[in-house]
Amino acid sequence: MKLTTKALSFTIGAAALAFAGIASAQETLTLGSAISLTGKYATNGVHAQNGYEIAKDLINKGGGVDIGGTKYMLEIKYYDDESTPARGAQLAERLINQDGVEFMLGPYSSGLTKAIAPVTEKYGVPMIEAEGASRSLFTQGYKYLFAVLSTSEQYLASAIALAAEKAESEGKDPSTLKVALAFENDPFSLDVRAGVIDDAAKYGMQIIIDDKLPRDLSDMSATLTKVEALQPDMLIISGHSKGAATAARQIAELELEIPMVAMTHCEAAKIIGKFGASTNNYFCPTQWAETLTYSDSLFGTAAEFDALFKATFDGYKNVPYQSAQAAAAVMVWADALSRAGSLDQDVVRDAIAATEMETFYGNIKFSEAGNNIAKPMVLRQIQNGEYAVVAPSKWASAEPNLTFK
Amino acid sequence: MSIYKRDLMIYVGISIFSIVLALVFPAYITQIAVMFLMVILAQTWDLQGGQMGYNSLGNIMFFGIGMYVSAIIQIAMLYGWGGVGEYTSASGSIKVEIIKSNYLYGMFIGAFAAGIICVLFAFVFGQIFLLFRGPYFAIGTLGMVLAVAELVSSWEWVGAGGGLSLPVYPAEDPTESGRLYFYCFLAISAICFAFISWVVSTRFGLALNAIRDDEAKAEAMGIRTLRYKVSSWMISAFFLGLAGAIFGNMSNFIEPLEVAFPTITFGVFMVVMALLGGKGTVWGPVVGAVIFHIIKETTWTYMLGYQWVALGLLIIVIVIFFNQGIMGSLAERYPHWFGIKIEEDAEEATS
Repeated sequence: MKLTTKALSFTIGAAALAFAGIASAQETLTLGSAISLTGKYATNGVHAQNGYEIAKDLINKGGGVDIGGTKYMLEIKYYDDESTPARGAQLAERLINQDGVEFMLGPYSSGLTKAIAPVTEKYGVPMIEAEGASRSLFTQGYKYLFAVLSTSEQYLASAIALAAEKAESEGKDPSTLKVALAFENDPFSLDVRAGVIDDAAKYGMQIIIDDKLPRDLSDMSATLTKVEALQPDMLIISGHSKGAATAARQIAELELEIPMVAMTHCEAAKIIGKFGASTNNYFCPTQWAETLTYSDSLFGTAAEFDALFKATFDGYKNVPYQSAQAAAAVMVWADALSRAGSLDQDVVRDAIAATEMETFYGNIKFSEAGNNIAKPMVLRQIQNGEYAVVAPSKWASAEPNLTFK
Repeated sequence: MSIYKRDLMIYVGISIFSIVLALVFPAYITQIAVMFLMVILAQTWDLQGGQMGYNSLGNIMFFGIGMYVSAIIQIAMLYGWGGVGEYTSASGSIKVEIIKSNYLYGMFIGAFAAGIICVLFAFVFGQIFLLFRGPYFAIGTLGMVLAVAELVSSWEWVGAGGGLSLPVYPAEDPTESGRLYFYCFLAISAICFAFISWVVSTRFGLALNAIRDDEAKAEAMGIRTLRYKVSSWMISAFFLGLAGAIFGNMSNFIEPLEVAFPTITFGVFMVVMALLGGKGTVWGPVVGAVIFHIIKETTWTYMLGYQWVALGLLIIVIVIFFNQGIMGSLAERYPHWFGIKIEEDAEEATS
């Protein structure tokens, strides 16, 4: 009996709070997001959250979003999904059912997005996500899912193309290149791996190591020992921030000399700041770079976004693209809502689908499937402790520093 | 007789209350469903940890195995066994068009098969692990679940680390699936509770208690301890397998490390909940699970960023102040509530 009264008083209290939340929500539009604040994706979850926050604050400072003649201030309701997909799916139900959220921002990582998308789809709640790049998200026929970022097979394609080009210019056949792979065992990294294997096969490169990073991503010395013994020409790593940090640390500790190291999430893992000169010559694919020439009316140029972000949040030497694309997702929301002129979910959904805009982050235009097809990936190399764009040639600010023996 | 009548009234009361709760607050239905899952986790853990004195850290393995068995069977029923590899390697890009009756049929067959297969696993693993005692059993079972999780996460046929998207429950009304999983968890937790409280009231329960109190003596008295220990594990495995199967369907997307074998979340929670409520009691795990879940959901909402700190404090408080758990402390203070009679002399002697 003690049990039942306790549960009852709790639910009544919770219901009252939820009601109070709705009553005070006039002129405020709440977007919902389950984001990884704890667990293995916590670093990137916070980067994404910072991106959401900076865009939301700037939009509100400018008077909010005009929807059909009424000004709405944006608000974002967060829950911590603990980096687990099951929790993410529960929280999406909670945001929609309990908090009455009608429009969603995405979580961090492809796995979480895979878990949440069926829920938002079921309720017809549009979601603009910025952190789920797996190709399989866009083959399900989802109607309410939109992504501002480039999909995962594009991450390392230019790095492989660059290696092949370089080998040829040195008079070597690209098929003589030996490639070592070390990938986290999660939906995103495995999808990147699939792309890399396809690209390597195109040039006939030989994959001599194909390892998975361990579950906690804190030690990859077993793989690196193999690398030391087998001397590959290329080492390719993808394991979100923690995987990148582990790789950079252990490659430095073991003093490995590898002609070409390419890894995802360099900026998010802050590897230059943590591991200094040992990270020179690493290749890092990025969704966005502050040196690109995009601009918009909210943040200005990419460089201005970079400066504002560093001034707002402490501890960033380089702004990770995870934050930039999160900010871009909020901008797409503001743009689509004002164009829709209504809060009807289907009208808003159609407005998002018709998006065609330039932001500091890049151009945004969605395919039928919901992924952004107007923005290429960029490949950077760490040169003298700074990121320099090396591909595509349109933005390249430096020659890649790469020689195969 | 009266104590049975009272118990029956409590069961009926709680069941009606739960259903009313879900009808009155439909928005909270997923959270209430997960609360019943927590009850199942705590209750099945307590059958070893509390009643038998074997602190398992690997019971979550059955949850994960159940989830995968059910998922694979559901997919195989739609595509045939040959289609499973194709479906999983597409990592969710095959979209399934199914009707409700197919889905329900698949889920119930899958869940039942999951329970049976988990029982088999418990039977086999039990022959080995239940020979260990004390900390060796705890660490051994922890190693067991980690190994199984690693194996599943490198097994391409079931999608490996990339996970597996399950068919989505086909319904016009989006809230319908929430109600379905709620009733499933309510039913499983009710049957699990009734079965376990019956089992511990029989000679079987006494044998488990004897093993907990002094295994060597129990053996000397002619109790075939291994047989009892393995049987108890098989009971827990069955309910965990069912729960895992339903939870997999509820989550839609399953993958080995975080969803199916969540060692550091659910695997630890089940122990904490049983300790909080009072291990070795029938009601302890239930009370513990409900209170724990409410605290967890509240701190996750109102103390975002500090929720794990709050949870850590809770565990410390339990260990220091309620080392008997809530039901254990109550039984010590108000023994007559639990039908325990203390003789006058004994009471005077202690006071």
